[in-house]
Amino acid sequence: MRILCCLDGTNAEQIGRVGEMLSATQPLTLGLLHVIDSRPRKDIDLIRERFLRAPLHPPHRPPPGPPPHHAPPPAPPPHHIREEEMSEAERASAQEILNEGRRYFAAAEALEREGRPELEIVNLAAEWRADLVVVCSRAAYQKRREIGPKSVGHVARFVLDHAPCPVLLLRPLARELFPIER
Amino acid sequence: MLWFFHLPEFWKALLSSLVALLTLAGIMTRPFRWNEARIAMGGAGVLLLLGLISPADALFTLIRDWNTFLFFLGMMALSALAETANLFDWLGIQAARFAGESATRLFLNVFLLGTLISMLFSNDATALILTPIVYVLVTKLRLPVLPYLFACTFIADSASFLLPISNPINIIILSRHPLALLTFLRLLFLPSVVVVGINIGIFLLLYRERLQGTFDGARLSSPEKAIKHKAYFRYTCCVLTLVAPAYVAASALQFPLSVVAVAGAVLLLAGALHWNRASLLEASKGISWSIFGFIAGMFIVVRTVEQTGLTTKLGNLLLRLSGGTNFGAIMVGTAGAALGTNLINNVPMAVLMNSVLASIHNAPLGIRQGFIAATMFGCDLGPNLTTVGSLATVLWLLILRHRNVDVSGLDYFKVGVIVTPLMLFAGALTMWLLL
Repeated sequence: MRILCCLDGTNAEQIGRVGEMLSATQPLTLGLLHVIDSRPRKDIDLIRERFLRAPLHPPHRPPPGPPPHHAPPPAPPPHHIREEEMSEAERASAQEILNEGRRYFAAAEALEREGRPELEIVNLAAEWRADLVVVCSRAAYQKRREIGPKSVGHVARFVLDHAPCPVLLLRPLARELFPIER
Repeated sequence: MLWFFHLPEFWKALLSSLVALLTLAGIMTRPFRWNEARIAMGGAGVLLLLGLISPADALFTLIRDWNTFLFFLGMMALSALAETANLFDWLGIQAARFAGESATRLFLNVFLLGTLISMLFSNDATALILTPIVYVLVTKLRLPVLPYLFACTFIADSASFLLPISNPINIIILSRHPLALLTFLRLLFLPSVVVVGINIGIFLLLYRERLQGTFDGARLSSPEKAIKHKAYFRYTCCVLTLVAPAYVAASALQFPLSVVAVAGAVLLLAGALHWNRASLLEASKGISWSIFGFIAGMFIVVRTVEQTGLTTKLGNLLLRLSGGTNFGAIMVGTAGAALGTNLINNVPMAVLMNSVLASIHNAPLGIRQGFIAATMFGCDLGPNLTTVGSLATVLWLLILRHRNVDVSGLDYFKVGVIVTPLMLFAGALTMWLLL
């Protein structure tokens, strides 16, 4: 069984416990996925545009020809240095999150993507041929609404609606909130 | 072309207004993603070609506003060179260290740091330099990124009327309608404090759930590590320590602020060259040169409209709407400037209002000062409503979203719609009480 576990930086332990439970019943192939959310970067570019500045994500243009060997490379403008710093911080953070997941599943395949998390999860689930996607209802740095209409965040909700395979939604324990008024 | 024909004044006025309207519509909608500077300069070029403004008059208009151009240059260079010294990185790390591992306190510190940077370096520095620094910081600290980015973006404008130099828009208006420093501070400092307070309060309320956690202080690098060259860093701090009071003194003495900004930038550049921290070419890359074309184009377009008497009519309309009272002047000035700035961007709106304000010079002092202060207030704070651009941009984003196209920026609009009208009203009310 191929299980794709979605790590958001706060849920490695929760997913680890579930993985242990599932692996007790049958052999598993596990994939650990972390998506670097690209939306904040796009927002920063929009702000830069308002101030008539070039985006931090310059559109990719292929070089017109081979670079001349004798000319020294031009010094990058300050906003390109910032761009590198931002990418570096994102990559370091993603690696750290994936390593936390590997503590529970040493043999798991680490998968890193960049984009809108909800889209990347469902697309990768299809591409990786996942039999099950494991996702948490919300990132845990947020005070959770354990039950109720806002208890499932927009990423988990999108995955539930669009996943190409069964989805296991991990919710926090909330027995003390029951019974719900009938 | 019209140089060869004698055109009646009515047709001249009609043509000038048409070109100006098309230019503003172009800036609003940005067809083919054209740069605003290209559109503004295109409009000015058409007016010159048609002979609706003489080259001498256009040149005189640009020379008259030398202080604005020079201030933009000095301000951008000063920020870019201070960035080269890693001053903002250092400040960001200090803000995180003083937060004591609390996500909420870091959020507050980002607001305070943004206020300080906007006050002394203008809103550009906060929005363009502090935002990516905070992004890197919170990514490393594994905190939710969005609230902190919003804090940087909004505080850039909310704190941009603490001092005349806090927003280049203030310079555009003050160059033509000078206010004594004490009058500026009397009318705008306290409203600014009120607005910043409201901004912080509402954001804390909005993001209270996401900001309840802590972060691991060990993830922070030491402030010393952020500094790539200690001598240049110290030198930058010394220069800025001189520039800050020089700004205040120049404002008090009605001395051109652009001279102070450029002098500060020249001193920093000398240090950067001496310690080999940046070449002239590298320093120039930190400046948005297209902004000069944008402003120059708008100055010429608005000057042409001014000649038609339209701006005088607009001034009279504003006076009538204000009912001849101080309260009316503040409210109408704020609402008009804020609305206009969201329609056509704040630079064209400020240039246009400059001309409109010139036509109400016969109004009583209180009303005149009220309109000037309210215009700066509305043009500075108004962009927070549609942070990512004009209303046209937001409408376009909404259409895209409707078509299920991935868009960013709408979250800013949702927050802006909640917080900005409240800040505008509270700030305007405070201003009226102080007038």
